[in-house]
Amino acid sequence: MNLLAVSINHRTAPVELREALYVGSAEVVNLINDAKGKLFSEGLILSTCNRTEIYGIPVNKNLSYFDIQNFITEKKSSHKINPEHFQSFLSREAVKHLFRVISGIDSLLIGDNQIFKQVKDSFQISEEMQFAGFLMKRLFDSATIVGKRAITETEISEGAVTVSYAAVQLIEKIFSTLNKKSALVIGAGETGETAAKHLKDRGIGAITITNRTIEKAENLALKLNAKIIPFSNLKDQLSEFDIVLSATSSPELIITKDDIHKAMKKRNFNPLVLMDIAVPRDIDPESKKIDYVFYHDIDSLNIIVEQNLAKRKAEIPKVEKIIEEELNNFFGWYNSLQAAPTIKSLRDYFESIRFEEVEKNKNKFSSGDLEKLDIITKRIINKILHHPTTELRKSAESGEETAESATRLGILRELFGIDNHRPGEEKRP
Amino acid sequence: MIDFIDDLNIILPFLYIITFGIYLYDFLKGKKEFTNSKRLFLFITLLLHSIYLITRTIHFGHPPITNVFEIFTVLAFAVSFSYFILELVTDIRGTGPFIIIISILFQVISSTKIEHIVAVNEVLKSNLLGIHVFSALVGYSGITISAVYGFLYLMLYKEIKLNQFGLIFNRLPNLEVLEKLSFYSAIIGFSLLSIAITIGIIWLPKAFPNFSYADPKLIGTSIVWILYGIGILSKLLGRWRGKKVVVLSIVGFIIAILSTMLTNFLSLSFHSFY
Repeated sequence: MNLLAVSINHRTAPVELREALYVGSAEVVNLINDAKGKLFSEGLILSTCNRTEIYGIPVNKNLSYFDIQNFITEKKSSHKINPEHFQSFLSREAVKHLFRVISGIDSLLIGDNQIFKQVKDSFQISEEMQFAGFLMKRLFDSATIVGKRAITETEISEGAVTVSYAAVQLIEKIFSTLNKKSALVIGAGETGETAAKHLKDRGIGAITITNRTIEKAENLALKLNAKIIPFSNLKDQLSEFDIVLSATSSPELIITKDDIHKAMKKRNFNPLVLMDIAVPRDIDPESKKIDYVFYHDIDSLNIIVEQNLAKRKAEIPKVEKIIEEELNNFFGWYNSLQAAPTIKSLRDYFESIRFEEVEKNKNKFSSGDLEKLDIITKRIINKILHHPTTELRKSAESGEETAESATRLGILRELFGIDNHRPGEEKRP
Repeated sequence: MIDFIDDLNIILPFLYIITFGIYLYDFLKGKKEFTNSKRLFLFITLLLHSIYLITRTIHFGHPPITNVFEIFTVLAFAVSFSYFILELVTDIRGTGPFIIIISILFQVISSTKIEHIVAVNEVLKSNLLGIHVFSALVGYSGITISAVYGFLYLMLYKEIKLNQFGLIFNRLPNLEVLEKLSFYSAIIGFSLLSIAITIGIIWLPKAFPNFSYADPKLIGTSIVWILYGIGILSKLLGRWRGKKVVVLSIVGFIIAILSTMLTNFLSLSFHSFY
């Protein structure tokens, strides 16, 4: 198969270069328009914050990896990007790379399942642009199977691997149902927003935002359909919340142990979860000494993150096994495409010999016998070809020995002088 | 039939140990491979245990409640059966090893010491005794389970407070659920103990000429009952929660065990029949 793939990703290039080559969905459409028919007959362009990748079946046998690299760098970047910043793949390796990407094991955050949707979206764009042909559609189906199997059959995406999600995981170890709980988010920055979104996704009963700059709190509250309270009321209203999530850039403590103690008294010592994900910290860590106060800072949340990352890493071999299985399935299908024309040519070749010989000798038989001769000779040809045909199909469909299967087909063609077009060439510059 | 009863008596501790092993393996490994089979295994163990109790009752002509070792096998069954029902109702499957181990303890003691008693004291043939003992045993299994969940609550509480995110953190249900499980089990235990005590107060003075209100077992059970009563009431009134209630539940359980052991093994009470 002559599928080519070129990738710039978190392992090959620093963030500024990856940013420079990032392609938004509108730009993907333009790039596909430029590549379709000129570089590739069909293909896929995938771009996320950690990778930009192009997959395609070249229209020209002489198309090299460098041509593809130049294509993207010329369109996108003025940065000095050189070939070392790219990874290149051919045929089975290209398919394997795509499978690794969609399963999340090639991600910066191992097991990140956002990539599954991103690959899906990229395929959709290719399809809409008529850039996904017969081969790419099948490749997409196989990639989807890999992604789904990785999620359902392994624990590659299990557990929180970001601090904000770890905070939510921890909260869920304290409270059984979040829909009856209320949360206060202190700080309207990116971290606070992400954590608040996670809480919202997990069905928190009510979210309230507070921030020194009230406008920022209002903006975030609008996004999350949350309430706001003035920053000056924070300490007085602290007792109203079951979860307090603080992520401000304040250089000193915002909430003291005494504030928490007062709030707990007002709450009749109902459990209170304090998630201090600010650096430097916003809440006095001594608060953890108060009964039913569950105080956690960024260090304790990082313990959970590290544990979950280690668990995900341990799942990689299982995902790789799935990838190997699906690679074999995909190439089994692909090789059967290669075998089909050879089988047909072989049958045509034998049939032509049979027909020629019957024609030559038809005068030696009566008209009644001629019919029998035709049936008998056809049966002989069928019997001769039955075993090689079955073997060729089996070998192609097994997908395990692509090279061996190709060699068998080659020998057969050479022996019988069959020479027609084969889909796909293995050699690339 | 006696051979069958003896065989089951030997097999039962092993069945509980194997069931415990499967639950423990699942708890330690956190895999989902035994999620359903472990429940099936517990069911088979309970089924064989119930056959054992029924055949024993038929063969010896009385329910197995006439001495402490018969009571222990019923208690082993009651504890695991209550857990089985709780697991079915709540679908919380990670706490099995902590409960089944209690059944192992009771069943091992029972299997090694139980005897074939055909002739029993006339007083033990009363129907009221059956209700009294049955409610007391289910009540005790309720407070046993309550104490186990209380203990698990304390362990998880400590792990979360100290940022130790180990097995307990990863496998146990959340604090609120553990607190609820402990509390509901305590309510069931308390209610049934109330029935057992009421019947006892009405019936015991008539049945036992040497009955005394100063009996250590009566005092022990009354203390347990009062403790649970205080805990449940305080929780319902919203005055106590979490740690306080579960600590009370654990203390109640320890007093119940000590009172049973003292009265039965030291024969201090009219209540000990062994």
